[in-house]
Amino acid sequence: MSETSAKYDRLIQDLRRDFRPQREWGEGRGLFLVIGHFLVGVAAGAWLFGLLFDYLPVLVAGFLLGGAGGLAHLAFLGRPERFWKMARRIRTAWVARGFAGLTLFLAGAGLYLPPLLMPSWPWNSASPIASLGWLMAAIGAAVLIAYMGFVYSTSKGIPFWNSPLHPVLYIAYAFRGGAAALLVAMAVLGAPSADAIGLLLKLWIGITVIVIVLFVLELQGAWSGGNAAARRSVRELLAGRLAIAFYGGTLLIGLLVPAILVSERIAPLGLGVLAAIGLFSALGDFFMKYTTIRAGIYLPLKMRSLR
Amino acid sequence: MRWGMVIDLKRCIGCYGCQLACKAEHGTPPGVYFARVLKHEEGNYPTVRQLALPVLCNHCEDPPCVEACPTGASFKWEEDGIVDIDYDLCVGCRSCMMACPYTNRYFNDQAPQYYPQGMTAFEEARTARHQPNVVMKCNFCRDRVRAGKPPACVANCPTIARAFGDLDDPLSEVSRLIKDRGGFTLHPEVGTGPSVYYLPP
Repeated sequence: MSETSAKYDRLIQDLRRDFRPQREWGEGRGLFLVIGHFLVGVAAGAWLFGLLFDYLPVLVAGFLLGGAGGLAHLAFLGRPERFWKMARRIRTAWVARGFAGLTLFLAGAGLYLPPLLMPSWPWNSASPIASLGWLMAAIGAAVLIAYMGFVYSTSKGIPFWNSPLHPVLYIAYAFRGGAAALLVAMAVLGAPSADAIGLLLKLWIGITVIVIVLFVLELQGAWSGGNAAARRSVRELLAGRLAIAFYGGTLLIGLLVPAILVSERIAPLGLGVLAAIGLFSALGDFFMKYTTIRAGIYLPLKMRSLR
Repeated sequence: MRWGMVIDLKRCIGCYGCQLACKAEHGTPPGVYFARVLKHEEGNYPTVRQLALPVLCNHCEDPPCVEACPTGASFKWEEDGIVDIDYDLCVGCRSCMMACPYTNRYFNDQAPQYYPQGMTAFEEARTARHQPNVVMKCNFCRDRVRAGKPPACVANCPTIARAFGDLDDPLSEVSRLIKDRGGFTLHPEVGTGPSVYYLPP
């Protein structure tokens, strides 16, 4: 059976179901969207943490991750050659705002970083051009952190994502990703001071606690206050087709392993352990996005809803 | 003016005539259904009945798909309220599919033929205008409507279960049916103001 006919048969099966899973975002080429959202989230978080800790390597990493995230988005689009048209509806569409944010971020970072890396660059880091780049990148990063959650929460067809907590959760995850990127960078390339690592670790723990609280609240809200489709999504996540990825990826890799490493039960907090905390944390963030996106179930058109 | 459709669920026999007429009119590729029929059985033997629910784009008054589209490919014609897609603008991001509460949008990434032997001349002529890797949906057969004909699904319905007309005109058949027979829309709680109404079975 060819891939096309298998996909067609699956669509026909899906159309017959009461609860039709969304497959466009997260399956096949849709996986590039999850990768793209993950990368730009980490990139924007890393950029803001890089500015906060005045740490150049993670600014460069943020810029590169942002570029990679943009490429992943292009790989997802059905007609990538038309990508520039995505700025046309910035007043109403969160996807358009995200595109504008990424463009602003990459352009701003492209102006701000070169004089920091190359002293002989035509303009220096205190020049108006570099300052403009700093401002553009900071605004772009803020937009990138905010837009993803709103893309999902304004999707009326998927009740599970319609939570007002969804944007907040995505913002928290972007900060967690930024802290993780900084942990890895400081562990590999060296920290400006021991205090910086201590502060960063405390920040990572605080953000992780916020993420856990928000995630539990979102699941509880969807289960107790959501409609049948939202409850079905929670079931898919906790006890359905996504349970292995959720428990193994989001909870075990993303929360439990880093928590054990932070507690120093296995090894003292050396640089290698810090890098591992950052990597596991980031991997868990990816699985969180992957599983919540894949858990999306369309609002059903059931006969029972007819009066 | 705002074009709208009324579907009488008491008259609908679930024959799929609307779905086939739409396929023939638009030559939509496999996996793309501008119109389709959902079926549901209820009750317990021997007191059972089968209900058919024909669905299509609801051409909402406040369409969330238009709001979600980053390029403006999804848009609403001001003069008649029909929600349409400019396929030359669509980038295939599928955010409109996630925004539609009625799941009546389809991504066209299938091979354009139903049978491995290839397309017939008719199929080739019908599918030539469709672009791959863009989102597609019903446009109330706007070309037919502008030519003074009803949409294909309305014209082909053997039980005359479908009526098409101006919802803004209180004297039109659709307005009268909605008022007299208690027409209702799907998922009114979403607040999109659909232009497709159903009459109770």
